[in-house]
Amino acid sequence: MGKKLSEVLEQSGLSMNFEAGGAAPEGVVEREVAQQPCPRAAKLRELYYNTLSSATSEFPYWYTRFHKALDGELPIMRRALALKQAFAHLTPMIYPGELIVMGRAHYYRGSYPMPWLSEGYYMAKEDELHKAAMATGGASADELSKFGTGGGNVTQNFGTIVSLAGKFGMRQEEVPATLRIAREWVNKSADDVCRKYEKMVPEYPIKESIMRNVVCIMDSGFTLPQGREVINYFYPLQYGFDGIIAICEKRKGEVAGRAGGDGLIGMNRLYNYEAIKLVVEGVQSWIENYAKEARRLEEFEQEPVQKQEYKEIAERLEWITHNPPRNFREAIQLCWTTHLAVLNEDVASGMSPGRMGQILFPYFQQDKERGDINDQEVLEWLQLQRIKFTCIDVFGSAGVVGGVLSGNTFNNLCLGGLQRNGQPAANDLEKLIIEAGQRCVTTQPTLSVMYDEKLPEEFLLKAIECNKTGTGYPAWMNNRNAMDFMLRQYGREGMTVEESRAWSVGGCLESSPGSWFELELNGRKYNIPGGSGQPTSVGVHFIGLPKILELVLFDGVDQRTGERVFPPHGRKLESYAELWAQFQAYFRMAVDCLATTNNIQHDIWRKQNMSVFTSMLKSRWIETGRLIHEMGYKYNATYNVETCGTVTLVNSLVALKKVVYDDREATLEEMKDAVRNNFGFKTAEEVKSYSLADQEKRDESGTYDRIHFLVLSAPKYGNDDHYADSVMQQWEEWFCPMCSEFESLYGLPMYPCQISVSTHAPMGAATVATPDGRLSGTTFGDGSMSAYAGTDRNGPYALFNSATVWDHTMSQNSQMNMKVHPTAIHGLEGSKKLLELTRAYMRKGGFHIQYNIVDSKVLRAAQQEQEKYRDLVVRVAGFTQYWCEIGKPIQDEVVARTEYEGM
Amino acid sequence: MSKQLHKHCDCRNYAPVDVVKGICHRTKDVILGDEIQCEHYAQLNKCKHCGHFTASAEEFMGICNADPAKPWTYPDLITVTCEAFKA
Repeated sequence: MGKKLSEVLEQSGLSMNFEAGGAAPEGVVEREVAQQPCPRAAKLRELYYNTLSSATSEFPYWYTRFHKALDGELPIMRRALALKQAFAHLTPMIYPGELIVMGRAHYYRGSYPMPWLSEGYYMAKEDELHKAAMATGGASADELSKFGTGGGNVTQNFGTIVSLAGKFGMRQEEVPATLRIAREWVNKSADDVCRKYEKMVPEYPIKESIMRNVVCIMDSGFTLPQGREVINYFYPLQYGFDGIIAICEKRKGEVAGRAGGDGLIGMNRLYNYEAIKLVVEGVQSWIENYAKEARRLEEFEQEPVQKQEYKEIAERLEWITHNPPRNFREAIQLCWTTHLAVLNEDVASGMSPGRMGQILFPYFQQDKERGDINDQEVLEWLQLQRIKFTCIDVFGSAGVVGGVLSGNTFNNLCLGGLQRNGQPAANDLEKLIIEAGQRCVTTQPTLSVMYDEKLPEEFLLKAIECNKTGTGYPAWMNNRNAMDFMLRQYGREGMTVEESRAWSVGGCLESSPGSWFELELNGRKYNIPGGSGQPTSVGVHFIGLPKILELVLFDGVDQRTGERVFPPHGRKLESYAELWAQFQAYFRMAVDCLATTNNIQHDIWRKQNMSVFTSMLKSRWIETGRLIHEMGYKYNATYNVETCGTVTLVNSLVALKKVVYDDREATLEEMKDAVRNNFGFKTAEEVKSYSLADQEKRDESGTYDRIHFLVLSAPKYGNDDHYADSVMQQWEEWFCPMCSEFESLYGLPMYPCQISVSTHAPMGAATVATPDGRLSGTTFGDGSMSAYAGTDRNGPYALFNSATVWDHTMSQNSQMNMKVHPTAIHGLEGSKKLLELTRAYMRKGGFHIQYNIVDSKVLRAAQQEQEKYRDLVVRVAGFTQYWCEIGKPIQDEVVARTEYEGM
Repeated sequence: MSKQLHKHCDCRNYAPVDVVKGICHRTKDVILGDEIQCEHYAQLNKCKHCGHFTASAEEFMGICNADPAKPWTYPDLITVTCEAFKA
């Protein structure tokens, strides 16, 4: 075995110490705050831990059957009728002990493919899947239970179970039907139709090369076309489903045959109202079927308490099928049902519940006033809600669900912020939501505090206490920053200061516009916030910034594949200015071709797969009759340009500037040679670790030692060092405004989105060594404002100074992850220190910070004995995930992050 | 269809947790779906139990005759929500 990089550096006097601000205690230190869920939640969570991600073909079957039968109908009616039938035919499934019921499919953690978006995976794998389905299997109980305790991912076929996309299990008897359904969508799915028209874009060959070489990680229009947005629950809460249907009937009569002064879309209003009515009827049938199942179980059940619970479940469902909720329990059930209906309508990750504590507050308040519910009962329901959200699975390809999302579904519940009138919005229900998150640690919904100086200290300390459980939530978002960004981006669509206060986080940290809605409950009026923007994180998906730099250095040729990606630039790159100019040129070229081709993808999506139910929730449908595809939402300028690897890019540019151009310690050719030869090291794939420190030397000749030492010694972002930070500033002040040069299919300007999610692993894997000394195949730095692991040596406040050399309100977000040892924030004093640290970053203008409060030794132990740590969660990059469900590259990256031992 | 062929996952009182196992509503135990039924078995209606269903030569496939268009279907499609189901 060759020497590890950490050993090489030690010998050179350049330690790669991943502990900062002191030394960690020798022994393993557990998290200070550890609580237990209520017995009911504990039982249902335990069931979740032993549940496999499971897929069915039920919804796709009924959708496809009716869609096919309706050939010749208007596209919107065809979709609405197919959705109605699919909802109406879902098999209801209720599990003992549940109080909040309903699921996406008839499994505890069920989901299903939507081949009308993309059927390519099934067609590519048809033969393999068919053979697997036809093979008879007889797995033993031992094998099966072993699978059940190793996380929920079904990564391989076993027994009578076929693995789909490396994550989902499907029973063999359903696989032929799934393949047949997929075949019916060949040349009709959004994916297939998109391809035809995308190819008409002149720059399509560059786009294809970009995707093949993982310069960009994912297409947008047929992978996760919706999400990273905030649901609006107002209409069902205010009107109930019967009320919504009544509104549709009334509006149909008013608009039928009338253009209403709009020659393009005016006539569509009739069909849109009818479509909404049909889908809502389907959703009503779905709820009714659950109510019938609850009644059946009530009759069947012998145990009196469980029997009574089934009865109450049935009564709640029977009521909310038609009517607005009357109390907290009905409201929380209706919100959950509504949430599921959105997820069942389209493939979406990051469909966030938004400011749920403020939305449910009227019911909570009035129930408590009447003495109908107490805090303990509310806590139980909130814990059960957490488990339901955690059971959500998004069915997608391995690359999207694994590579981008790490299996997470990003249901972000936001707390705090401001009310419509500018007063602090935190309330007692939100404190219970935090408490439920502490007691019942689950990955969903993740929590975010919309930090505002006006929020009460007590509330903020409660949120800090939750951080100390090691949940990774709540994340901290800067409320005023987001409001500024809202006004900047949505001012052209009429956003006011008042309305900017209604924002919330969609997905992990995509700030998303909202509106205020006046809810009336028992004669009292409340202003509740709800999402009113289109999906975000759509448009141009993650571009690997270090990969663009690689292409600049090597004249447009990918060094991993040898394939040409961009036309040759032919420049000698004799100055830093020339290098920077070429970087700008290639980056702009990438954004342009990805924007045009993805615009076509989304255009096909909106013509074929427009959302009806979600449009009813969010658009101004009552007044305008428009749906999402007709810019019916109040805010439509939501398309963005996503990047990955910001800090790896910045550190690489700094190293080039310092070593090659300013100090002239090495020539550009020498640098390129070192990069090409991975500084004399093996690749990450060979070493089987994706952390920089673990990489091993291949070449003991020492040829590249000097240059590697020089680049590793060059200034690094995150140390309050002007030399490095000026490059960060240069990048941000160019990148943020340049996004608005590109327009979405809605003719509105794009904006930057700077989060990594999990993309820094696969994109790092596709990128050779970088001039900052990072080695081939290792992950990029996480987030966009986190320091690269082990390079921040001057403490957190220096890191904050570096991170805020630019105006974060120019961007939808930025992302700062920080790992803190539990001893660093022990006790109340420690809590106050952590709050002060958070406050300091917010006051300096940082947008987001999130914490992993964990001893890295626990993570290392969990890598060795994963099965013993089924419930261990970590914060990755905008989301909390079970350790055992994260791929090794991201595990290595989280272990390697700098651990702060003191504040 | 012989009695022995029925599995827990074909029982009305089996709540599938995932593709492998489920909870028996009668005992509240977690059981394996592919194990053979107990004496309390109650049929979960699926297409294969329906009078309108015709099996195809292709394994795991069939025809639904309840619809004049005779669409294809599959034997294990659960039909508790299908209005056309004929015992």
